[in-house]
Amino acid sequence: MRNVALLLRKDARVLARSRALVAVCVVYPLVLALLVGLVVRYAGERPRVALVDNDELPRELVVGGQRFNVAEVIEDVEGQSELVPLSEDEADRELEAGRVVAVVVVPPGFAERLRTMAESPKLVLKTARGGLAARVEQQIQALVYNLNRRLQDAYIEANLRYVQILREGGSATARGNEFDVIGLEEAGRILAEIERTTDDPAVAARARELGQFVREARVALALSDDSLRATANPIELETDAEGGRWPLSAQVQGTALGVALAFLCVLVAAAGIAAEREENTIARLARGLVRLGELVAEKVALVAAIAVALGLAVAVAFAVAVELAGAPGAAAWERLPLLALALALAGAALGAVGVLVGVLARETRTASLVGVLVALPFVLLGLVPEGAVDAAGALSQAFPFAHTVRITDAALYEGDPWRPLAREAGWLLALTAAYALAARAGMRRLLG
Amino acid sequence: MSVAGAADGKRALLAADGVGKRFGARTALVATTLVVEAGEAVALVGPNGAGKSTLLSILAGSLRPSTGEVVRRARSVGWAPQRPAHYGRLTARENLELFASLAGVRSPRADARRLLDVVELEDDAPAAELSAGNQQRLNLALALLGDPDVLLLDEPAAALDEAGRTRLWEIAAATRERAGAVVFATQSTEEVERRADRVVALLAGRVVFDGAPHEYAAAPA
Repeated sequence: MRNVALLLRKDARVLARSRALVAVCVVYPLVLALLVGLVVRYAGERPRVALVDNDELPRELVVGGQRFNVAEVIEDVEGQSELVPLSEDEADRELEAGRVVAVVVVPPGFAERLRTMAESPKLVLKTARGGLAARVEQQIQALVYNLNRRLQDAYIEANLRYVQILREGGSATARGNEFDVIGLEEAGRILAEIERTTDDPAVAARARELGQFVREARVALALSDDSLRATANPIELETDAEGGRWPLSAQVQGTALGVALAFLCVLVAAAGIAAEREENTIARLARGLVRLGELVAEKVALVAAIAVALGLAVAVAFAVAVELAGAPGAAAWERLPLLALALALAGAALGAVGVLVGVLARETRTASLVGVLVALPFVLLGLVPEGAVDAAGALSQAFPFAHTVRITDAALYEGDPWRPLAREAGWLLALTAAYALAARAGMRRLLG
Repeated sequence: MSVAGAADGKRALLAADGVGKRFGARTALVATTLVVEAGEAVALVGPNGAGKSTLLSILAGSLRPSTGEVVRRARSVGWAPQRPAHYGRLTARENLELFASLAGVRSPRADARRLLDVVELEDDAPAAELSAGNQQRLNLALALLGDPDVLLLDEPAAALDEAGRTRLWEIAAATRERAGAVVFATQSTEEVERRADRVVALLAGRVVFDGAPHEYAAAPA
């Protein structure tokens, strides 16, 4: 333990004298975090989808008496996906080439079916095969859901107008047929007049009975407005996107920290151990001054300390920026101690990977290059959404990046962080031990 | 001469008992036995790649032998490798203090100051910025940490100026006078003749000569 402390103090001194490296260590995570924030927020959320209009949709569509500006609807939907109008052949070619992730086909007769409300018209969705198909399907389902919501509102309005005509009378069109209705109010008035003017008591009694039914029907139909809307939308979701404009929002902070730490920690550890070899000090230390396990532990501890310092600095910078951006309460100040723990565990695991890289690469420049080459694919794998590609998920479990993102997310924003924190801490500790043992074995082999 | 003891009643301080070293398919040192006695100055000679540095690294404990073992009777063994082994961003004093602390020296700071005086080295710059000669002085100072009774020096005079060389051999002589021993690798015939009282010649990882300097000088090439 004393030897580890002595080497840690030495490395801290060496780092402090490497001003360029310190500057890179501070600036790199902040810049990377900002870039990741922008990329995650603005790039990944709008898949390019081809729209094949085989029905030649009109500029304006009247459904249930409501006018829909088709261009405006598409524009609204484009907030989620980039809709590209194409012919069916073009769309198929683009899909084959991977330039669009899906094709939505509007079949002939679509608008007519919508207008008559006789049966549900169908949209056809074609997606590319592969891991992203499920995700694209979700996006398109969301798109159709949004369209349905708008149409549903139109249909409800139309039905309510029919109800109003039933109550008050007037002209209406159903399935293309126009008809006149006298309405319950007028029917009630006629029945009252019959009851008043007739000399036949039996007719008067029947008119009174019918009049009673008309009154009850009017009351019942008067209540139909709210209940019709309520059965259409038992639960309504109101979306308020105002707070989500900030590019360094909560969702991206974990990813940004993870990306920054993955590269920095692996590189610092790899370069650190390779430098020991390059300066030949490892030969002097190996003379019984320091055990190989102690040397590995020291580098892991050093990187863990750097991860805590830089991670907290980035988190504080985020929090200050979020507060300044006018989103009070978004900054997770009270979670910083938990974040420090998460960062220490993540830094240790990433550091152990870096030490293994440094041992295998042997000299500093190669170690730095190999560090990037090792970290990059695992970071990319870790950025694939969970469940989207099973193989990516399984592979990324073997590298600390995905666990780093999840543990920092849990530490910062989970309502009940302890369960995910414990799970990811277990993963990170296991990975630290595995990579550190491999590094120690590699070092033993290296020193003969 | 056996590993267990030394000839003429002298004390054996350090011995290589059948040590050999392989790096993958390459044999760097064939099973070698060498006993270093108190008061001796042993010169290891041989062409580049003969196995001198490998043997010194094994004796120093920096490299593990593939075969055989090293028997250490000395209280402490100092080692100055051919390629200096210190932290370039630390000053000479900081390097000495660190390695002294790791070696368990009782007063690292005082020892570091003393050794800087011994090797006549100023401490005002990171070690990487020192001249090659001054880096070699630091290398020598690091070997002297803990007052070793055996000094293993790998081509120690290389890069040293005249004053530095004089100081080096004064230090080596002082170690021998304290009933210690010095083993040094060299390419210099003059150093063999003036500084050694025993020569061990290596060729392709094998000991091909072990005797007095005048015998070595007279031996056929």
